[in-house]
Amino acid sequence: MVHLIGATLLAAGCGYLGFQAAETLRRKSRSLRQMAQALALVEGELELGSPPLGQLLERVANRSAGPAKRLMEACVQGLDRLDREDFSTLWRRQVAGLEELGEEGRAALSPLGDILGRYDGQAQREGTQVVRQALEKLAQRWEEERRRQGRVYQVLGLSGGAFLVILLL
Amino acid sequence: MQKTKASQAYRQAVGALPQRLRREALALSEADQGRVEELRLRTGWPMTALLPEGERSLGGVPVESRELEQLLEIASQASVHTVLPQVRQGYLTIQGGHRIGLCGTAAMEAGQIHALRAFSSASIRIARQIKGACAPVLDGLCPGGRLADTLILSPPGLGKTTLLRDLIRAVSWGEGCCPLRVSLADERGEVAALFQGEPQLEVGPRTDVVEGCPKAQGLMLLLRAMNPQVLAVDEITAPEDVAALETAAGCGVTLLATAHGEGWEDLERRPVYRALMEKRLFRYCVQIRRDGEKRSYHIEELR
Repeated sequence: MVHLIGATLLAAGCGYLGFQAAETLRRKSRSLRQMAQALALVEGELELGSPPLGQLLERVANRSAGPAKRLMEACVQGLDRLDREDFSTLWRRQVAGLEELGEEGRAALSPLGDILGRYDGQAQREGTQVVRQALEKLAQRWEEERRRQGRVYQVLGLSGGAFLVILLL
Repeated sequence: MQKTKASQAYRQAVGALPQRLRREALALSEADQGRVEELRLRTGWPMTALLPEGERSLGGVPVESRELEQLLEIASQASVHTVLPQVRQGYLTIQGGHRIGLCGTAAMEAGQIHALRAFSSASIRIARQIKGACAPVLDGLCPGGRLADTLILSPPGLGKTTLLRDLIRAVSWGEGCCPLRVSLADERGEVAALFQGEPQLEVGPRTDVVEGCPKAQGLMLLLRAMNPQVLAVDEITAPEDVAALETAAGCGVTLLATAHGEGWEDLERRPVYRALMEKRLFRYCVQIRRDGEKRSYHIEELR
């Protein structure tokens, strides 16, 4: 009986690891999409009339989700401490904490802090567009990766679990 | 009380400085904080404070260009794009009406300054409103209790703008005269100092302000849009300004304006003002003179 419970747990554990790996890919792709959508909102706001950065980030935060919302909110709060940390550094620091975007996603997003609020509306919009397109490409890549590898991870997890059960029993 | 208000204005203005420079500026005694007219920052030199007796070094570490960029970022709340038109003119108004002047390398585009970069100097001019500054002249300018067309005349630095602002405030409130709707063309934002649409220096409840456009255009806009009873403008400098004032006078609006000049005779020598005088647009001319430490006001009736 104990052997059976152990075997079930082992199979379930391995299966879980496989599903978890697939879920990580899905989450990464979703986070990148959410960030790209938030940047599309930034572009829209800049097109409407280039509001002050605090207002712009707040509006976008209210209409965003996931890491994008967290990033915008943290940056709005950071605007009160500009005498200690400039916006570019603040942005980079906050982006560095967004694990779910992956290294490439963070690398694409980081330089935007050097552009936002610093140049005229047109230049900011162009800069944001470039970053948004890079994130969309990344999201697409991860989505394909998820479709290709996600199923493999799930099957590998389940079959790995089954293999171990057979081996141990 | 006055001293506390003066040092409060100072503390508000130094809020735009990066942390290190702010600490240095706040190390001044409260009495000195209340007397500082400007803070001056020059790359490679310690920050200085401009006091009535002259410029005094605050003795700290030399200012870096990076800190001047930080000053602009703090002053604009990281939104330089919203103040670019002002920055192109070399200044920026912050909350409280304080003015930050900027110098650096100009980037030109089609013969106009497109941007300033590599900042070399900045000055923070602390705005302090003197309410009641117009009290010595108000009665003399309001025959029958209504403000008459008035030109304020003085050399730079004697308080033309301060007197103009206080006259606008008094007329708008109806202090010592009947209350009137005042429209102000404040090209450089020195009179009302709009910040996010709100005057940072009090100009009264019946005052409408247009800022950031050439005076002549601003005057015509106000005349068309706001139906003013008094039209106010700081520093008449161009023939277009005179033409706009002439049009306004033709519409029965009371004029209130300032001009740089030692006296009425001084104006007669300058072509722009000669036209103004020939047309006799103003009934009164207030001349501000320095009498030792104090200022004195002389009202002359012109027509």
